Amino acid sequence: MRRFCVYGKGGIGKSTIVSNMSAALAGNNMKVMVMGCDPKADTTRNLMGHRIPTILDAFREKGPDEMRLEDIVFQGYNGVCCAESGGPEPGVGCAGRGVITAADMLSRLGAFEKINPEVVIYDVLGDVVCGGFAMPLRNGLADDVYIVTTCDPMSIYAANNICKGIKRFAERGEVFLGGIIYNGRSAVDEPSIIDSFAGELGTQVVGRIPMSDLVPRSEIHHKTVIEYAPDSEIADTFRNLGRSIIGNKNKVVPEPLSDEELNEINRKVEDLFREKALKR
Amino acid sequence: MDGGKFFGAFRASSGITDAVVLNHVPVGCNWGAGMFKSFSNQSDIRNACTVMHEREIVFGGEESLREALIRADRLYDAPLILVVAGDVPCIIGDDIEAVIGSVSLKKDVIWMEAAGFRGSMRSGYEDALINLVPVMEQCDQAANSVNFIGFCPDDFKVEADLREIKRLMMDSGVAVNSVISNCSYEELKMAPAAELNVVIGQGTELAKQMKDKFGIPYIEVGYPYGLRGSRDLIDAVSDHMGLGRDLDREIDLQPFEKIYLYLNDIYGTPTSVVGDFHAKSMAEFLCRELGFEIEVLSTLDDDYNFEEEVKNSNSAILFGTSFEQDLAKEMRIPLVRFSYPIFDQVWIYDDAPYAGLRGAVCLTETILNTVMGFEDKLSDLELRA
Repeated sequence: MRRFCVYGKGGIGKSTIVSNMSAALAGNNMKVMVMGCDPKADTTRNLMGHRIPTILDAFREKGPDEMRLEDIVFQGYNGVCCAESGGPEPGVGCAGRGVITAADMLSRLGAFEKINPEVVIYDVLGDVVCGGFAMPLRNGLADDVYIVTTCDPMSIYAANNICKGIKRFAERGEVFLGGIIYNGRSAVDEPSIIDSFAGELGTQVVGRIPMSDLVPRSEIHHKTVIEYAPDSEIADTFRNLGRSIIGNKNKVVPEPLSDEELNEINRKVEDLFREKALKR
Repeated sequence: MDGGKFFGAFRASSGITDAVVLNHVPVGCNWGAGMFKSFSNQSDIRNACTVMHEREIVFGGEESLREALIRADRLYDAPLILVVAGDVPCIIGDDIEAVIGSVSLKKDVIWMEAAGFRGSMRSGYEDALINLVPVMEQCDQAANSVNFIGFCPDDFKVEADLREIKRLMMDSGVAVNSVISNCSYEELKMAPAAELNVVIGQGTELAKQMKDKFGIPYIEVGYPYGLRGSRDLIDAVSDHMGLGRDLDREIDLQPFEKIYLYLNDIYGTPTSVVGDFHAKSMAEFLCRELGFEIEVLSTLDDDYNFEEEVKNSNSAILFGTSFEQDLAKEMRIPLVRFSYPIFDQVWIYDDAPYAGLRGAVCLTETILNTVMGFEDKLSDLELRA
């Protein structure tokens, strides 16, 4: 079983990448399971065509003893098994504990034994804000982590922070950094910035997702690009990304950058903005 | 052993004898705090709990609290609900004030934040008492009256000790207005009627606030163990009120004379004393009046490993809590229990105090009987070993 997590700053495109990659891998005859670990519960919407009841919805309504696997895992496009942890209403309770509870429930109900997926992908919210959101990094739930980032300074900053969390668990041999996924959807699209960032972290860029209007258009229809425009170039990009990650053997303990090193990257980004302005 | 801030707040709250204490905590915290209280007062069931489970931790405990408040309001015949919020609601950030404000209740409600990790049991006790100040009412002062501050309803022999202390006060011409925290809600409200606050061991912050708000002066005294301890208490109160009472003339030494040979035998016994603030006063009694040599004194406020120190001492008798029973067994020395928590003895006879003049006799009797009965206990221990 190949198990990995996708992290990255909020709104960076994690769910889009996870859902498209899942659809692509499943289209390649792999049994894929996706678990969204975000209270917003929108990772699997484009695979299912609609929102699904979350694990914590079932936990709240039925209680841990009455829940069944079919209440929380649903089959979406290309047979991808979809689950969402869900979470409390904003501002109450503990969302981090919710992720831990949801993962416990999946194990308790024997989800992995019964579904027997070849690939499990965890899509985790913005940042490793607490122990709960580090849950997929622990207890052998995942082998490696992929971080989505654009060239935006705050996105790089978040990716670097996530690496600090990963390093803690990587040093214990629990999970490693598999690489960076570059999303070109930002004001500055300069892959070399992220190549250099990845190099400094001690990792690689496993895939580059260019900006494409097919992505929002497919999402308007609650579909992945793989389903909406299967013959498009962007669909192939997601297929290639999936293949790269499945075949990736390069897993490292990341070396997060210092503030000064991050500032150096920011300066390069600023230079690019200046050049862009001059061209206008 | 320090139970943390939650235990202190719970103990202070439980001392309002006609209030319902609603613990907003998981069941284990509620059971732990309540268990120590119930050993010698099993009919006291003024204790409710929101019983937080994983569901409440994930989704927040506000709904459970709301429901518990409504039920406590309906089920208990009490004028006041005291909500004590422990670790979990403080970590996940339950908005307790908003919940209380959202329900219409017949009873008054006071809540206190008491996450165990936020401080010691003592700080929980102090903070809980501060939370009670707003219900106190400015009222006419009763001459020659005092409040006692520092008590808990689950202190060992608390009822008997208070009865004796009140007797000593009454004989000195002093009325006890309120005992905090071991009084009714009404008595708590009327606490500002006292002329003087007498702080015994803890509750100084409350006394300071009452001084600022109501102008009531306060004094701090040790727990009145022994003849000297009793005299110190009476002198301190009498001096403040200008009453003048010579206790020495009233002290009856006859009970001690009956056993003077035994008292002579135990004179100079090396001893360790472990407990809350009572420990210091107990050590003073043992040292000054029975002639014991104090090897180790730990008031549990000290953050050090007293067990090792006690083990390395020459102590031939240990005074402590029920938690010290294993230490005493290991050292093969007798243990006299006197300080919270005590969960392997009961204290139901309210005429056998440890405090005051009568307490000095009872305490001496207990110590001698513990030592004399230890021969059998030791043989039993050796047989088992």
